[in-house]
Amino acid sequence: MEGIVLALFLCLLLALVTKYLSVPVIPFYILAGVLLGKAGLGLVTSDVISRFFSEMGLIFLLFFMGLGLKPERIASNRSAVLKSGIIDLNVNMIIGFVAAYMLGFSLIESLIIASAFYISSTAMAITSLIENRKLMLRESETVIWLMVFEDLVLIIFLALISAGNQNLIIFLVKITGVLGVLYALAHYGKEFLISILDRDDELPILFTFAAVLTTASFSMYLGIPESMMVIALGVAFATTDPDAFEQHARPFKDVFLVVFFVFFGVTIDFSGGVNWFMIAVICSLAIVSKLISGILAGIVIHGSALSGVEIWGNTIGRGEFSIAIAVLYGSPVVGTTIAAMVIVTSIIGSFTAKYSTALRRGIINLGRKKAPPYRLHSGR
Amino acid sequence: MSAMSLRSLNLPGVGTKYEFQTDKGDTVAIFFTKTGIIQMYTLQKGCHTPSAAEMTPVEARRLGNILTGAIIEADQESVEIAFSALADLRVTIHSFLIPKAIAGKTIEDLQIRAKTGATVIAVCRHDTNIVNPAPSFVFESGDAALVIGESDQIKKFEREIMVD
Repeated sequence: MEGIVLALFLCLLLALVTKYLSVPVIPFYILAGVLLGKAGLGLVTSDVISRFFSEMGLIFLLFFMGLGLKPERIASNRSAVLKSGIIDLNVNMIIGFVAAYMLGFSLIESLIIASAFYISSTAMAITSLIENRKLMLRESETVIWLMVFEDLVLIIFLALISAGNQNLIIFLVKITGVLGVLYALAHYGKEFLISILDRDDELPILFTFAAVLTTASFSMYLGIPESMMVIALGVAFATTDPDAFEQHARPFKDVFLVVFFVFFGVTIDFSGGVNWFMIAVICSLAIVSKLISGILAGIVIHGSALSGVEIWGNTIGRGEFSIAIAVLYGSPVVGTTIAAMVIVTSIIGSFTAKYSTALRRGIINLGRKKAPPYRLHSGR
Repeated sequence: MSAMSLRSLNLPGVGTKYEFQTDKGDTVAIFFTKTGIIQMYTLQKGCHTPSAAEMTPVEARRLGNILTGAIIEADQESVEIAFSALADLRVTIHSFLIPKAIAGKTIEDLQIRAKTGATVIAVCRHDTNIVNPAPSFVFESGDAALVIGESDQIKKFEREIMVD
């Protein structure tokens, strides 16, 4: 218990400092965990309580993601969302997978690394767009929709990877059953849900907490992925009053997620030896492959490679979802690799997001500087 | 009004975006973000980099009052509200500081409704608010009255009652 208190206190200090400097806080939570845990001073070890808190953090993160997904919104903007999303998915999945496989990971491990490699941090991208005052840029909309597309891919990924070792038909029947119940609840119980959310007492927040936990534990009991079902619960509840649910779930998410990040750092173990070469390769490729997918998306959607640089600048940071994948499915070596990738990309990403406009201007000026000698030549 | 096309868009995770282009080709975009802050961007025609201002909800409301042509002074403020569903009904709410000249008179004495068409809907006295004052309500010097009406009626109120 003292471990959690110590970790939380350190995180509070880090949050204060990083907010002041406006850099993303997630990599520092992980580093704090590494410092306090197995790989560092050994002051904090994970126990039953911290594991429970971490699990809550993950579940509420996914519930939140579900609340933000509105299927009908995507349909209204289909072609651009699909095009940029598919480019992003293919380029990054393929580069991530091939790199991991060539570095000696097994097929499944490579798939897990590739998914963590592919999925950018929605929280970092959106915070950076707002804080750097980029919302009006036409590339911002592309970035926002890319994040939605990645979330959808994550749901499919969660379903596929948990279906792997089960009887597919029974699995599908169970999932469809639970989805049906959730949909019916949100559809026929809409007025009841809204009447609960409108109350001023403890009921709305208690209901939100209980609904998320019940869904998670019931899914575990049935043997279907609770991560996916909690997202589905979010999507179902989003049809009633998503803002109210966000408001009531936010305190749980905010606190438990910090525990989740810091204890992910605590459990990182360097004793098996760290392959720094491998980590360096994955981290550099993680930055380069988003540049490639960004430029391709920029050319296809906005007709400009420079737009791609802007998209790249805001989507380099990998974060919460990469770590979720590492926690759910990763072995210790995979976990360490993904942790390093999150730390490096999110810190570099915060700089590229801040200076991408200057970077674009620099590229344009560079192009102009090259021009005069050419003109002199042609003049003669 | 009809030429201006206002585009509103829900951006998942961010909030709501409102954007319109002016007749001259400049673009104004306003974002109500989920964090509660409001960002306003303006992009001059032919320019590529917009400039942005970030506002709290209170600051945004103040900007809104300025843009609707309200008078912003220390103690006099007015807001015009347009109801597009009600045949573009426009109502102005204006606050006035009651001068010494009309202190001691009632709303009935002043014949506010008959003379101007406007209505006193609230009076603020020593930091307490009296909503819907009765015709027998007696004004005191230092009261702030909130008057509602069409803009012509408000002007009439200013000319005929305030100088009384």
